[in-house]
Parts: sequence; C-alpha cells; structure tokens
Amino acid sequence: MASAQTALPYLTRTISAAAYANGSGVAAAGPGAPNRRTSLSSFPPSSRSASQMSQNSRPSRSPQHPPTGAPSDPNRTSDPPSSKSKTASTGTAISSQHSSLSGGGPRGYNADARPRRKLRSQYPAGRRQNHVEYILVASFDIDRGPVMEHQYPVAITGDEHMLAELMLPDQAHVRNQDWTIFFLHKESNDEDADLWQWQKEERRNRRRRKHERAAGIVHEYEDDGSGESDLDSQDTPDDELESDDEPKGGEGPPLVYVLNLVNTKQDKTAKRGAVVKAMAICTRHPFLHIYKPLLLLALEEYFKSPIPETLAMLYDAVNDMDLSLMPRLSLLERHLLQASENKDLFVEKFEQMIQMRIAEERGDDVNDQPFDASRSPPKRPGIFRSGTKAHIEGQAAYAVPRDTHEFESRVMYKGIPIPIKVPVAIMPETVGDFSIIKLIQNFSDSHAKSPQSFPLHPHLTTNGTYTHPIIVLVNALLTQKRVVFLGHNMPSGEVAEAVLAACALASGGVLRGFIRHAFPYTDLTKVDDLLNVPGFIAGVTNPTFEHHPEWWDVLCDLPSGKIKISSKVEQAQITDGLVYFQQQNPAYANMVNASSSSSSSGSAASDLTGDVAFMNDMLKSVNSRVGERVIRAKWRDWVVKFTRIAAAFEESVFGASALYIGSVDEPGNVNPPDLLGGHGYVWPDETTKAKELAGNVTRIEGWRNTRSYYSYIQDLAQLYTVRPLKELDLHHMHDRLRTQRLTPLQGKEIYLTLSKYVHSYDEICLLLSVAPESHAGLFYIALGLFHKEREVRFRTASLLERIAEHEAGRHWWNALSRFEKLAYIRIKREIELDARNKMEKDGGFSPDVVEKRVS
Amino acid sequence: MGNVASRFFGSIFGSKEMRLLMLGLDAAGKTTILYSLKIGQDVTTIPTVGFNVETVTVKNIKFNVWDVGGQDKIRPLWRHYYSGTQGLIFVVDSADRARIDEAKNELHRIINDREMKDCLLLVFANKQDLANAMKPTEITQRLELSKLKDKIWNVQPSCATSGEGLDQGLRWLADQAKTQTPAATK
Repeated sequence: MASAQTALPYLTRTISAAAYANGSGVAAAGPGAPNRRTSLSSFPPSSRSASQMSQNSRPSRSPQHPPTGAPSDPNRTSDPPSSKSKTASTGTAISSQHSSLSGGGPRGYNADARPRRKLRSQYPAGRRQNHVEYILVASFDIDRGPVMEHQYPVAITGDEHMLAELMLPDQAHVRNQDWTIFFLHKESNDEDADLWQWQKEERRNRRRRKHERAAGIVHEYEDDGSGESDLDSQDTPDDELESDDEPKGGEGPPLVYVLNLVNTKQDKTAKRGAVVKAMAICTRHPFLHIYKPLLLLALEEYFKSPIPETLAMLYDAVNDMDLSLMPRLSLLERHLLQASENKDLFVEKFEQMIQMRIAEERGDDVNDQPFDASRSPPKRPGIFRSGTKAHIEGQAAYAVPRDTHEFESRVMYKGIPIPIKVPVAIMPETVGDFSIIKLIQNFSDSHAKSPQSFPLHPHLTTNGTYTHPIIVLVNALLTQKRVVFLGHNMPSGEVAEAVLAACALASGGVLRGFIRHAFPYTDLTKVDDLLNVPGFIAGVTNPTFEHHPEWWDVLCDLPSGKIKISSKVEQAQITDGLVYFQQQNPAYANMVNASSSSSSSGSAASDLTGDVAFMNDMLKSVNSRVGERVIRAKWRDWVVKFTRIAAAFEESVFGASALYIGSVDEPGNVNPPDLLGGHGYVWPDETTKAKELAGNVTRIEGWRNTRSYYSYIQDLAQLYTVRPLKELDLHHMHDRLRTQRLTPLQGKEIYLTLSKYVHSYDEICLLLSVAPESHAGLFYIALGLFHKEREVRFRTASLLERIAEHEAGRHWWNALSRFEKLAYIRIKREIELDARNKMEKDGGFSPDVVEKRVS
Repeated sequence: MGNVASRFFGSIFGSKEMRLLMLGLDAAGKTTILYSLKIGQDVTTIPTVGFNVETVTVKNIKFNVWDVGGQDKIRPLWRHYYSGTQGLIFVVDSADRARIDEAKNELHRIINDREMKDCLLLVFANKQDLANAMKPTEITQRLELSKLKDKIWNVQPSCATSGEGLDQGLRWLADQAKTQTPAATK
C-alpha cells in the first residue's frame, strides 16, 4: 500500500502529520505571540500567526491505521464470547418497576440488551474535583476603572486586571443587569496543567498494567466488565472521572468556563451616583448556565455584605450539589440521546444508578463486582418517576428524572433549595445555554426580505453572490476565518450566546477547535491579543470593530441581521486539490468556480452544494416550530455530510483520505469472507457525485488546512480504536438502503451483513446512530422483512428482535410502523413453524435459525 | 468609490455625515455633553464603562459622536477609535486646575497620532458655570494649542448641564467641515 502512495504527488509535502498530532505544533507559540508569564489567560497559548498555517505545513495524507487494530488483525473481534455468558439480562425485570415506561415489542433474555460496561456516575460522589473552582467579584472603580475585589477560595493566578475588565463589559453603565461568558486557558507551565498531565499518564500506565495483567483476555476497547472488575477496584475513584472511550482531542487541559453577572445600581450616596459590581463563577463544566439563579441571589447578597464570606457561601453551596446519580454515557449513547426527542431513552441507566446506590446504602459491597441485576436484592424499594403521583405520595428518596435528557438536582443556598437541571448528554463544543434556532432566524429574516449580495470568496460564497448568510457563516468557521459577532446596544450575554451557538453550529458535535478559539465576550482592551489568534470567533458590543475591517474576515451584525465579508479578507489560494480535481474532471471544472463567478445562484438548478435546499428545509422546520434538538440534529447531519464529502473528495483526487480509516476497497483486497465492502458517502449516481464535489471543492480545500480538520483526523483515529465493527461502514450501508435503487442481490448482501455483524450492545448503538428517529428510524432496515428471499426476511427479523430488546433500540422498535411490525410477527410465526417442522423431521436437533455471534 | 458618490450627493442635498470622537479626562463631562446634545436636557450620568455613541444632527450634518470612558487605565484604548475620525472634541473640566497639565499631555498625544493628523479639533472648556473656572484664553494657553502646526482648532466655553456653548461648538465644526470638504475628500 505504501508503495502505491509514494507515487501520489501530495505525499511530497514535508511535515508529517505526527508533528501536528502530538501537540508539539500546537504548543509552539508564534513569534508574534504576546509575552505570557501569566498562567491563566483569556487567550489560548497556541496563538500562531496566520502565516505559520501556510500551505507547506500541511501534513502528508496517508490513510493512517492506528497501530492497534489494523483491519487484518485477528484479535480485532469485539468481544470474546466467553465473557458474554456472565451477565444476564434484566431488561424486563427492571422495566416492570413502572410498566408505563417500558415499551412493547418482543422481549427476550439477551445479554446484548445492555452494555457490559460497568455503569458509572458522570460526577461520582467523593471525587476530588469541584463543580466550581473559583468565585470572583470585581467592580468599576471611579478612579481606576475595573478592579478585582475578592477571589475565593484562592486568587486565580494570572492577570487580575484583565479578568476584571472582562467581568465589566462595555456599557454596563446603561443597563441594570448583564451576563457575560468568557473562557480561561490554563497554560502548560501551570502546576494544575502539570497535575492534569500527570493524572493522564498515571491513568494510562494503570490501564497498561491492567492490560498486561489480564494478558489472557486482551480487550480491544474499554470493557470494564466482569473480567476486569477485580482489578478495577484498585483504581482510585479519580480514575473514573474520565473514560478513555472517546477522543479528548489532544488540545490540552480543559478550559475554565466563566459565567459572570454584572449589576449597576444607582446609589445617590456613592461617588458619581452608581455602583457597578460583577460576580463570576469559574467552572470546568460546559453547562455553566445552570448557575444563573445562584449568581443572581449571591450578587444581590454581596451588595448587602461585600465580604469574602459571601463568596464562600456560594462556593460551598454549589460544590455541595449532588450529581452522583447521573449516569455516564458512552459517546454513542450520548449521540443517540442528543438526537432523540424521547424522554425515556436510557431511563434504565438512571434506575440502575439508583439501584446501585440503594445497594450501597445497605452495605452491600458493590465495588468489587459490576452491577448485575441477577444478584440484585429480591425486594426492591420503589423507584418512581419524579413528579409522578406515586413519587409525590410515596416516600421514595430517589427519583428518575421526568426527561432523561436532564438530570434534576438542587443546590441549597441560604436554606432555599434551588432546582437545577443538568444536561445528561453534552456533545463536544456545546457550552452554555444557547439557541441555534435564534441564530438562524437572526441572520435569515433580513436575507429573506431582500437577499444580500456578497463579494465573492471561494471559501465563503459557495452558492455564489446570494449564498445564504448562515452558510457563509458556517463556511467561514469551517475554513477558519476570523469571525466577529457585533451587538451594539445589546446585552453582552446575548452576543455571547450567538458566539456559542455559532461554535455548536459549525461543530455539529463532530468537529472541534471552535470553542477553544472563541471569545464569547471580549472588548477593545484585548484586541491586540485577539489578533494574534488565527481564526477566532469573538463577540463584541463595541461598533468600533466594524470600522476596522482589517481585524476580521466576517462580521455578523446582530441587530441588523446582516453578515459582512471584510474588504481585507485574505484571498483563497489555488491549491493542488483544486487543480487535480479540475484536471481529473474537465467536464465539471468550470462548475468549481461557481463560487467565484457572479452567476446569480439561488435557483435549484445551480445549487451544487445542496445548501439552498438544505436552508429552505431548515427554515421550514424552524417556522413549523420544531424543537432546538431537531435543528441541532439536522446541523449535525450537515456537518457529518460535509466531512464525508470531504473524504470522498480526497479519495477521488488524491487516491486516499485521511478522513477514512478502515478497509480499503480495492479489487485485489481480500476481505474476510462475507464481509461487505464499501464505505463513505453514498450518491445515487456518478454525475450527482461529481456535481456535489465540484460545489464543495473550494470550501473543502479551505477546510483542509485548519485546526478542526487536523483534530478531526486525530479524533477519527482515536475513535477507531474504540469503535465496534471496525471493518464495516454501517452509515454507508444504511445510506445505500436509503438512497440507492438496489438489486435484490445487493439488498440481500446488505441485510445479511447487518444481521450477521450487529449483535453487541455497542454495535446496535452504532446502527441506531446511523438510522436516527428523525430519518425514518428503522424503516429501511425493516424493509428487509419484505425481501423476496426467505433467508433475508428471517435474518432481518432476528436483527430486529435484537434491536427491540436493546435498551435504546426498543424505542426505535416502538416507532416502527404497524405495517412493518405485522410483517415481523408474520415472519416470526413462519420461523417457529419452520423450526417445529424441522424438529419433527430431524428428531430433536435444536433449531439453528438464530445465528452464532461472528463479529 | 461609494463613499465619494455619497459625499457628492450629500453635498447636493445638503446632508452630510461626520464622525466625531469625544475624549477627555474622567469626569470632564463628556457623557453629559453627549446627552445634552442628543436630547437637549441635562441628564444625570454615571461613569462610562467602555463607551457611548449617539447621532446628533446640527445644520444638516449628522454627527456620529463617540464618547469614550476617561479613566487613565482605559485611555490606551482611545487609539482604536482614531481611524476614520474627522473631528476630535476634547473636553476639559475648566475648574480642575490640578489636572490641566495631564489633560494637555493626553491631548497632544492624541493629536500627534498619524491617524488623527487631518482631523479638526474642538476643545470644550467645560463647567464654565463653576466659580473658579478658567477662561478660554487661559485654557488655550495651558493646553499649549499655539504649538499645534497645520491644525484647525477652536476653544469653545461651555456648560454641559445648561447646554450653553454646545451648539456653537458643533456649528463651528459644521462650518469647518463644509469649507474643508473638497480638500479633505480622499
């Protein structure tokens, strides 16, 4: 394979991907970076001048297989079957606790209905890390400007004055109250960062030792099930804080998020008639918005008694918050929960957490064994849904949340219980509480009334001069432009929300690197530092920014809902990828320039990227008042599609893609028997593919040199090591079912492969994630029930049976149409009948319809 | 290009826009002047956190007036407001003899910036209602305005709380802008 690649021209690029991947490239501060002695800064340490991100620093793009788990590795199989028999299913038993929750559908005893991992808390009790790290108070001094008044429990290291400035946003004097959000970067020379690094290494070492000891059973991905549970108990509770089952992005220590409330009080007795004070909470949790009611109370309290004890009281109150019953979800589970509107999804996990707690309180030693319902106490205390009649009347100490998307807890502040709802599943790059719907509406309304014409830029105006502003914004973020949100005369909190929403929009929970370079609220005092950050996303309220087009590439004016492209934006370079594409596809070469020609696009005919149709659909959804979650899921789909198109582009132009890890379908490639090849995005035909690629070339090329692109490659490599079904691209297969006209033979191949390989809990989660409820759910999979071949129908039925028993899959099953359910029942009867006939014929052999685990 | 065209039409129809920047030490009365110009009455102000900006029309000229907080810590930010500024309004507390030298230094620092070299200078000798206020001639002298070469400047006595002198100040700016326009067009 390597020899084939050396022939490709792109490999001649010098610097290897590894140099970037191990973070050394990120850590090196550019020559223009400001002097940083402070350990906490509101700017990332990775500030590099834009010139350093130039063409020649692009790494080679060989499709890298991580050293572990190469496709041909025989050890790759997901799980040794031996461990399977140890856990027994409890699906029905648990659900019977409140029958209203458990769905119908076929039920059986299946070990794969639940994960074999030991269920853990996201924030276990008794851990060392606090919810909130610091409480700060600043005020605007008449003579000195912003000053820090108190910090608790200790002073934050770093530039105190800079913090005070951030806490007192511009024009705080014209409104009584304002919120701001900003982030602090712990720098690598900091002790805390060292500690973090040390903990990480410790964990890695411990894990390695564990693996060595358990040499007989080498697990490919995290499986803290029965096999390792005795070793597990030796770990400190700290170890449970983070799981290695998902990529961390390699971006350094987590950010400190700061939520800040500023109040201006007219006070005749004060010098010049007013007192301006701000209080901030610094936390590492991305759900910092939950602290809003507490800050309101505490700042009010501080106006009355401006002493450190007021800070201490808040600090103790928020850190006493108990989140220990909130289960930790795997990446796939979080993805499913995020994309689903179902309020019962994963309710079993909450019940299980409570069961474990009850068992613990009884003195059972649950540490050395994973929770196993077969051993659970025979008499169960009642667990009820919070808010239900039974819960209110009963004396149950614990309750399952009403909506599994939010964990309900409370904070006792001055004897008042303040209800708190913590989001259970948070995707990367989602910080705080914001509305993508609001962002979309803000920049769509004026465009709908009088379409705005943009100066053309290949990266930005992918649909020509009338590209939808939201698409221009997303393109700007993907291609790492400097984006400023300006909200003159707006509360800075609203500007900050727009910035956070934009980060989530471009990330889709898939790509990273936006939040780390976002400045939800900043002002003129930091502009020099800001300009050292390549591709920042900043929120400001000072209209002076508009007068400095050299400071930004794209300016989003919130009050007018207009987006501007700077007159000083750097022009896109002609890249190799673009040239190769045009050489290889001469017929479509001129379409590539659609973005830079002045063709008045907007008509469906020239909508090469499909973005016009996408935005129309998006706006229709927004207008029909679908929820925020649905909109976010749609954006996620858009981002996923973009990355998959980018992968297809790289493969078609360069012969291989860094965005795809897995088996390569070559004619000579010997796949394991029965393994269906094929991967990547699916187009109905080649013409459609070429057109869509042509529409995307320029922004893909713009993206291929950005932080989010490189970190995505890293994430993919890390994900690959933990992903079930490494050799199959389920997304590809499901897309083929969905979009292509398949011959019965092709259909058969796909249905049989799915049925053969999708067994374990994680494998089913993966399948569910490519068939979300919002995309017709199991509809296309269930179509296999109508295949003309009996075997396909039977196998599909057994796959559906497994899904229906699955903790999450049962909800998908419930959503299946009656027509398909009836077909399922009919086929099950057929199977039974068959089996009986066979038994009678063969005399006593067990039916072999349910296939053995193979993957 | 578009700028030139709008100026051209602007001169035909007699409406123009002018960007003014109002600076001065803290508590000189900048915000009071701004709102006195804007709404024609005295408002009680509190210290400006950051800036204020308002549009005021005098003699058919739309003045875009920026008022930036004056605490010494935040004075380094003033420079970000320079580019595109056509007129500087420098506000002096005429009764604050202790800080008149500090005011002079700040004023010269602003005026000597490259981006401010073409702009008009209007000094409001503010708080003339106070008993010990310095007169315009004394202000001119203490600010060393005679040292300024190639600069069009004017010192206007004013009282922000009553509004006295403010209109005259802007009228002077308007007149200067009209005579200067052909030359100032870039």
